[in-house]
Amino acid sequence: MKLDKDQIRMVIALFVVASIAAVLLATTDIITREPIAAAQKAALHQALQQVLPEHSNDPQNDKITLGQDDAAVVIYPAKDAAGHIAGMAWEVVAPDGYSGSVRILVGVRPDDSVFAIRVTQHQETPGLGDGIVKNDGWLADFVGQNLSSKQWKVKKDGGDFDQFTGATITPRAVVKAVKGALEFFKQQKTVIFARLTTAEADHKTGGAHE
Amino acid sequence: MNKSEIFADGFWHNNTIFAQLLGMCPLLGVTTSAENGFWMGAATLLVLAGSNLVVSMVRGLIPKNVRIPAYITIIAAFVTVVGMAMNAWMHEMYLILGLFIPLIVVNCAILGRAEAFASKNSVSDALMDALAVGLGFTFALVLLGGVRELFGQGELFGFNVFGESYPDVLMFILPPGAFIALGFILAAINLINRSFARRAEARVLAQSTAEAAPATVEAQ
Repeated sequence: MKLDKDQIRMVIALFVVASIAAVLLATTDIITREPIAAAQKAALHQALQQVLPEHSNDPQNDKITLGQDDAAVVIYPAKDAAGHIAGMAWEVVAPDGYSGSVRILVGVRPDDSVFAIRVTQHQETPGLGDGIVKNDGWLADFVGQNLSSKQWKVKKDGGDFDQFTGATITPRAVVKAVKGALEFFKQQKTVIFARLTTAEADHKTGGAHE
Repeated sequence: MNKSEIFADGFWHNNTIFAQLLGMCPLLGVTTSAENGFWMGAATLLVLAGSNLVVSMVRGLIPKNVRIPAYITIIAAFVTVVGMAMNAWMHEMYLILGLFIPLIVVNCAILGRAEAFASKNSVSDALMDALAVGLGFTFALVLLGGVRELFGQGELFGFNVFGESYPDVLMFILPPGAFIALGFILAAINLINRSFARRAEARVLAQSTAEAAPATVEAQ
């Protein structure tokens, strides 16, 4: 098949346009890569400050990862000045929100109780389901609770947590996810603590070499 | 067309939302508050300026048969650039608008301006057109977002207007409220346009009767 002049012109035109677009995108990526990483780190830092007890370490620096790939859980520990673990936080996903999944940062104390929770990402209805972000009283209901101190369901389902007027699905999803987080912590506690202390030991031997 | 005509046309007479009813997806999706509407409008304005600029620059160089894929590539590139820039420097707003930023690509208003205007006009005219259409779109988004925020939550740009005792009217925040508020806004705009037209008509009529009047008096 022989290409005629018009076809060659078309190919060249599209090639040039696509090349210019590629250069533009690559340049923007190079310029924005660091600011985006910094913005994400700052957003995570801010959220972690709210769900972790007072600490003197950088939780993002001391993070450990359990599991692999899709099942990976990144744990951010809070340590006091003496290096004792005061608590830790990780993100859980409630897949059954009213519109899409809700991501929640759950902070726990070593005694299996909740220190605080914060919703980091959601698409729930403004004015209804978004109470999980705005309703401080509701968020406070989680503080200090553990698996046996509450019925981990919303009141409509016979539990101890309030639903919102006109919105039951969202609080139900969040309560379920936080409960799941506490169960996970109970099961994995020894593993997590072991990993955290070896991570620390690695840190120290690493420091000695320097 | 001179620049002020281009502006009046893009901003008002051919307003993307009020006159053409295009770009409904971002309009209904993000306008739960005036601020969201403003930033969505600003992002669209930037994309529009970029695509109109480049399309106008390469006009005549792109063969007719492949112009649509070429324009879409240009538009998609600018949308991605704006999205990455927002992610980097306006992270919180990026998280709120999130999904709707990539969707600017399929806002037919932008392809429409590239095809109908930028590909046939000079670079400076194309930029003026992008500014006018972008501002008109932003104006519409802020207006609708403002109305929904005001009646839905009693606030405007996050400031309380109606006092704490205002019962939030949820319907305005939910999607049906967007349609209802848009309907009333469109009705109001049609009223304004009609009264302008009537006034212009009356002026023409007054002129012609003033000329005709002496003749009628004489006839009586």
